Amino acid sequence: MSNSADTRNDRPSPVSSLALERVVRSPAALVENLPIGICTCDRDGLLVQYNRRAAELWGRAPALGDPDTRFCGAFKSFERDGREIAVDESPMALVLGSGQPVRDRELVVAKENGERLTILANADPIFDDQGNLVGGVNCFQDISEITKMRRQVSEGRRLGRRVMEALPAALYTTDAQGRLLYYNKSAEDLWGVTPKLGEQLWCGSWKIYLSDGTLLPHDECPMAVALKEKRALVGPEAVVERPDGTRVSVLPHPTPIFDSDGSLIGAVNMLIDLSDQKRADAQQRGLIDELNHRVKNTLATIQSLAAQTMRGTKDQGAREFEARLLTLSRVHDQLSSHSWEWADFAVIARQTFSCLRGSANSNVQFSGTAVRIPPKTALALAMVLRELAANAEHHGALSTPAGSLSLSWRVEDKRLLVDWREVGGPSVSKPRTRGFGTRLLERSIAEELGGVAHIEYAAAGVHCTMDIPLPE
Amino acid sequence: MSNASAGSRFLEGLRVLVVEDEAIISFLLEDMLGDLGAADVRHAGNVRTALAYLEQHTPDLAVLDVNLGGERVYPVAEALEAKGILFVFTTGYGKNGIDPRWAARPVVQKPFNVEGMTQALRELLPAR
Repeated sequence: MSNSADTRNDRPSPVSSLALERVVRSPAALVENLPIGICTCDRDGLLVQYNRRAAELWGRAPALGDPDTRFCGAFKSFERDGREIAVDESPMALVLGSGQPVRDRELVVAKENGERLTILANADPIFDDQGNLVGGVNCFQDISEITKMRRQVSEGRRLGRRVMEALPAALYTTDAQGRLLYYNKSAEDLWGVTPKLGEQLWCGSWKIYLSDGTLLPHDECPMAVALKEKRALVGPEAVVERPDGTRVSVLPHPTPIFDSDGSLIGAVNMLIDLSDQKRADAQQRGLIDELNHRVKNTLATIQSLAAQTMRGTKDQGAREFEARLLTLSRVHDQLSSHSWEWADFAVIARQTFSCLRGSANSNVQFSGTAVRIPPKTALALAMVLRELAANAEHHGALSTPAGSLSLSWRVEDKRLLVDWREVGGPSVSKPRTRGFGTRLLERSIAEELGGVAHIEYAAAGVHCTMDIPLPE
Repeated sequence: MSNASAGSRFLEGLRVLVVEDEAIISFLLEDMLGDLGAADVRHAGNVRTALAYLEQHTPDLAVLDVNLGGERVYPVAEALEAKGILFVFTTGYGKNGIDPRWAARPVVQKPFNVEGMTQALRELLPAR
């Protein structure tokens, strides 16, 4: 080492400034100008030499060889935890006491003016040619800024942890291979187990099922899919089973995490507990069921009252009444099964003919796809279609085996277009009196629903068209 | 209304148990079943009465309202099943209103007409 250093010094200097060359060629001048504090003590710890940066960091310039200033020139020094370091515990004192170097010792130096610096010290013993300890050299630097940044980073991390810990949702993270890195208290409560970090893969839960009850292997769970396919997912809904057998419905939200280069470094998954929602849904379903039950029992009671009242009479009206009541009731069924939000016109159209007797059904052709219609439209259309069907059964195309009926519908420009055409029945003519069916058609389609209805009593058979606005 | 012309008197000679808590609705059922030819229609308004009747008698058929004023009819269904007696449920609830254990059994939605009841009973008694 020393040889090569000499060689380097002997070469023609590329330094142009004489003053700079003097500094480079004189070790003492070089040390004096180093941007790191250097301090040398003799065997007894008396200061032998220190440089300008050392004096700056100490905030003072103690006299060399002064027996009152041993091992260190600082006014006072402290451990990171605030405990004061006695002079004979200073890095230099340790080096001179043991003959061993001290590495990367972090301590706080206090200046006389109260300023405090965080210092990183490295001290080495110095031996003579015979190997006797003759002194020590300490070099130290100000790491206050670095320490501050480091603290901020770790506090940020701690804050992040606390936020995750405090979240009321179950949350966990994994590395890119799916190994569990972290999970919060909510996750632990949800799983009912405390899986080992760095070992368990994909998810900390004990068992996972899909909502249809099939067991979902961990390596196929949404988190595994998100990591393998490198994309964020919501769902599918899953059921987590704890070792005690209790189950919780959750909606997983696995999201892969990428570094600034775009490489996958892990993933975070949040499991939203759906129990409350499920309970609320079940409660709502229960209420709708109960309401449905009461409405139906009331309708059945009315039906029975009518039957008791008209029993024995040969009046066709009794059957008509029952059929109208049943039509109303069947639309209720359809609406109830869709939370009273909509009904499918295709189902209502077919139901119209289920009240008809015998073979009348087979002469009806339907053409149209499923169309969602709102409750009011469903109720009005069901009643109107039933009246048309009853008329066809008694007087029209469904009153003879040769007759047939086609009921077709389509949606155009947010309007439901219905076409009812009877053919092959007895010759029809416009009735002299306007019956319930005609009145209902006019009033409910035109006035109630704001649509257009047209009925034509052509000799070949009844032809009725309806044009009803649908909501956006 | 519930005239027999819609179907034949295919229940001719059968004894039927009707479990229905609402009297007026039970009238309708009794009339319908009578029109379909049933020889003896017995009525029970709750689970206890129905079970007591079944301890002494073995009807050919039963019609069970699912909800008897808040009480479920299922214990009667179990007793009937144990004795090998066929039955249909009636309910105002939708399809989901029946306990999954009994989901395969025929269900007649309330209110029902004689055609609906006939269809359900014919499925139970294909031989008649």
